Amino acid sequence: MKNPLFKRLPYILKDEIAKYLIIFLFMAGSIGLISGFLVADGSMIKAYNDSFDKYNIEDGHFRLNDSLSKENKKALEKEGVTIYDLNYIEEEVESTSTIRLFKPRNKVNQVCIMEGKLPQSKNEIAIDRMYADNNNYQVGQTIKVGKKKLKITGLVALSDYSALFSKNSDLMFDSVKFGVGIISKEEFKSFKDAKIYYNYAWTYNEVVDNEVNASNDFLNVLVRNVSGIDDYIPQYANQAIHFTGDDMGGDEAMMTVLLYIIIGILAFVFAITTKNTIESEAPMIGTLRAMGYTKKEMLIQYMTLPILVSLVACIVGNILGYTYFKDVMAGMYYGSYSLPTYVTIWSGDAFIKTTIIPFIMMVLINYGILMKSLKLSPLKFMKRDIKKVKKNKKTLVLHRLGFFSQFRLSVILNNLSGYITLFVGVLFAIILLMFGMDMHPVLDHYQDIVVNNMTAKYQYILNTPESVDTTAIEQVFQTIPQEFRDSFLSLIDDQYDEMYDNYKTKTKGAEAFSLYSLKTLPESTIEEDISLYGLQNNSQYIHIKSLPKKGVYISKDVADKYNLKKGDRISLKESYKDLRYTFEIKGIYDAPGSMALYMSKSYFNEVFNCQDGYFNGYFSNKKITDLKDDYIASTITQDDLTKVSRQLNVSMGEMFYLVEGFAIVMFIMLIYLLTKMIIENNKVSISMVKILGYTSKEIQKMYVHATTIVILISTLLSFGITTWILSYAFKIVFEEYAGWLPFYVEGSVYIKMFIMTIISYLFVMMIQMRKIKKIPMDEALKNVE
Amino acid sequence: MFLSIKDLKKSFGEDEYKTEVLKGIDFEIEKGEICVLLGPSGSGKSTLLNIIGGIDQPDSGTIMIQGKTISTLKEKDLTNYRRKHLGYVFQMYNLISHLNVEQNIDVGKYLSKNPLDKEELLQTLGLKEHRYKQPNQLSGGQQQRTSIGRAIIKNPDLLLCDEPTGALDYHTSKDILQLIEDVNKKYGNTIIIVTHNDAIKDMADRVIYLHDGRIRENIKNTHKIPAKDLNW
Repeated sequence: MKNPLFKRLPYILKDEIAKYLIIFLFMAGSIGLISGFLVADGSMIKAYNDSFDKYNIEDGHFRLNDSLSKENKKALEKEGVTIYDLNYIEEEVESTSTIRLFKPRNKVNQVCIMEGKLPQSKNEIAIDRMYADNNNYQVGQTIKVGKKKLKITGLVALSDYSALFSKNSDLMFDSVKFGVGIISKEEFKSFKDAKIYYNYAWTYNEVVDNEVNASNDFLNVLVRNVSGIDDYIPQYANQAIHFTGDDMGGDEAMMTVLLYIIIGILAFVFAITTKNTIESEAPMIGTLRAMGYTKKEMLIQYMTLPILVSLVACIVGNILGYTYFKDVMAGMYYGSYSLPTYVTIWSGDAFIKTTIIPFIMMVLINYGILMKSLKLSPLKFMKRDIKKVKKNKKTLVLHRLGFFSQFRLSVILNNLSGYITLFVGVLFAIILLMFGMDMHPVLDHYQDIVVNNMTAKYQYILNTPESVDTTAIEQVFQTIPQEFRDSFLSLIDDQYDEMYDNYKTKTKGAEAFSLYSLKTLPESTIEEDISLYGLQNNSQYIHIKSLPKKGVYISKDVADKYNLKKGDRISLKESYKDLRYTFEIKGIYDAPGSMALYMSKSYFNEVFNCQDGYFNGYFSNKKITDLKDDYIASTITQDDLTKVSRQLNVSMGEMFYLVEGFAIVMFIMLIYLLTKMIIENNKVSISMVKILGYTSKEIQKMYVHATTIVILISTLLSFGITTWILSYAFKIVFEEYAGWLPFYVEGSVYIKMFIMTIISYLFVMMIQMRKIKKIPMDEALKNVE
Repeated sequence: MFLSIKDLKKSFGEDEYKTEVLKGIDFEIEKGEICVLLGPSGSGKSTLLNIIGGIDQPDSGTIMIQGKTISTLKEKDLTNYRRKHLGYVFQMYNLISHLNVEQNIDVGKYLSKNPLDKEELLQTLGLKEHRYKQPNQLSGGQQQRTSIGRAIIKNPDLLLCDEPTGALDYHTSKDILQLIEDVNKKYGNTIIIVTHNDAIKDMADRVIYLHDGRIRENIKNTHKIPAKDLNW
């Protein structure tokens, strides 16, 4: 015979439909969202990784001042590589952005057609899908490219431009102002006035073990065989190819932890509300236990619905994840990166993380709490002796408090477990809410401080030849007879001067500096680039009063991120060599947005073995116009420094709103469920005080205001705790990323959050007040034993 | 002997708050007897019944039912003992909401390998026409009948009734007592009834008076009166 107690479950489900529905929707939604994310993330990472073979992505590319001759190409290919022509031109589109145009490429860095088709004839163009989205260009539309009008035939993803970096040295890509496109060979030829960039890609014919060594070898071959090398980027150092993959991998752990916190809270809400049901049904449980029903049978009774609801939520969540949310999440990636099309990959790992583990969490948390509740003897259940209050314990009476205050205090103390869950839930909701609401201000604030504290309006990084090998000069010097040595030195100095003269500017206020880049040590966090500036004394741009002869100043961001202070030492290493440098920190310099070390030029030259007079960059508040374009490697302007916040706002802005909405729903849900539980817990008492003649207003003072006080305290405490948690979380997160984004809370965010929580609470309270009014007076009489 | 209790003691509280409720109880009941435990409030009768029913533990002394000592059983075995041998009827019926009369009786039936015939029992209980009613659609007497049905359908060796008429009016109380009497006659269960209603003693085979935790009298009633003829 089937246990007849199961027959009551459908009725309980019906009676408590609001509770079960809310938890179901929230759980299914959370699982759907996160499984959708993990599936999209996994599938897209797979598509991204596969794209290297599928689209035959280059092993690197180089750019020459002139076309590569057939002979030179042959000579290079003899060394075990295949060279491909990837020449391009750059044109303005509608005078608002720049597009890099390639001919159709069939052999290397192939094109993924996302919509429409590739251009077949003249006056046609296929453009990058994301660039098109950001600029509202559609297939069929005609756009002005340079002086020509071209019809868009297709939207594409170029496999070597998954992140639209126009220059590899850029801090951040910019998919609004820069795009790539494909035009037919005939069309390419017809851009007669355009400057052709003689760009060539290479692939190794054999699989290489060490990309760095292989690239260095090829560079030697290249230098030996061709002249006029304008640019050289091996694939592993190409941000346009690798930035996407690096970024996509990092989000998974964060989203999974988020899911577990949500499920943990939901499981607690489920367990606490079920525990409340157990307390209200105590005499019935006592009777059944006295009849011989086992604890296990009772446990199964009370766990069946939470488990069934969780199970269905897991299934529905997964279906939603694989259908709807997967596309939403993929859309977020497509909003940031020019990724090729992907095929959904069934991920066993995602299934375990978003279904099996949440389900087990649900079962275990409910089991733990309910088992503890059901441990009491049948007699205690029958006598409703279920609170673990020691007999003869003196009641807490605070005589200074008025009657209502004492009453509220006892309501809070009697419902402590519910209120603690409420506090944890409010805290979590506030964490999400603050994250959602404060991210835009954090980015804006970052942008403001970066702009307001910019070292110079322009920072030019030059292609100054690296210092000559002094050891070789030294050797030659030793062979020269004594009488010619002075002339030799003067000749060398002249040569240097001549060499550096080409890089000198007459721009007023321009100040030369030396720049070198090292990486942090892997044992600290990730390997991150740190800029080392060699500065002239009394620099107009870096306001350090007197630069020490030895030792360095570090930027505040470096100090904050790596917990460094004056007197500490910082160790850095060369990018591709096992060569370490250790510097003593003489001070901290506040330069927001900079991960940098500052030292005197003389110390810089000493450390990096450079000649006196060496420099490779300029700070300037005026645009430098008297230097050849070829001598300038890159220019850092305000736009470059704010690219990070701009791009984060573009690609993650929607997610912030999503988190914000999610937090508000969670807040309302938790308050609703827990206040409902507290009111139901006190149904008999409420009914009794009604019989005694208390008015609705007075009942509200007793029961509702107790919850109001807890909500207010929880909210205010959560503000403080959340601020601390988020600033700590920022530190942890940015240890994994290059750069530093300081946490900042705008005052208005607290006010907005407070107003939002109060409005949400009032909304829930209106519903609960109606419930209190509906409690009949005979409720108390029915239950009196 | 069906039930044998020797030197049973039980106290509540600790140190200065300690209260001795049972101060050494000894008595025996034969199989098929109706035994009424009488006594004023606080005399320890409900505590004694709960210990016999295995839902409370004595401090010392022994309880043997059908030759088996139950006072030393562990919790799991006690549950099993209640499941197999006991039926409980309380003053508060504690029927399960959302389950109708028949389903509430099924709750007891589920526990037994050898249950009574449900149709016949419903007839005996006078609940046949109410079988599909929910507890909140029943009168107090009908609810108590249902709880008796739930207790005896598993055909328990021992039926324990704690103030079964405590919440009922005179006529309904007599109906319920008559029903208990009928059940005893028909199925031969041993029944212990705890009550403070002195009149009920007349329908019992054995009457035990408890006072201040001790047995004041243990009488074998040789002049039983049918429940329908009881008056108070």
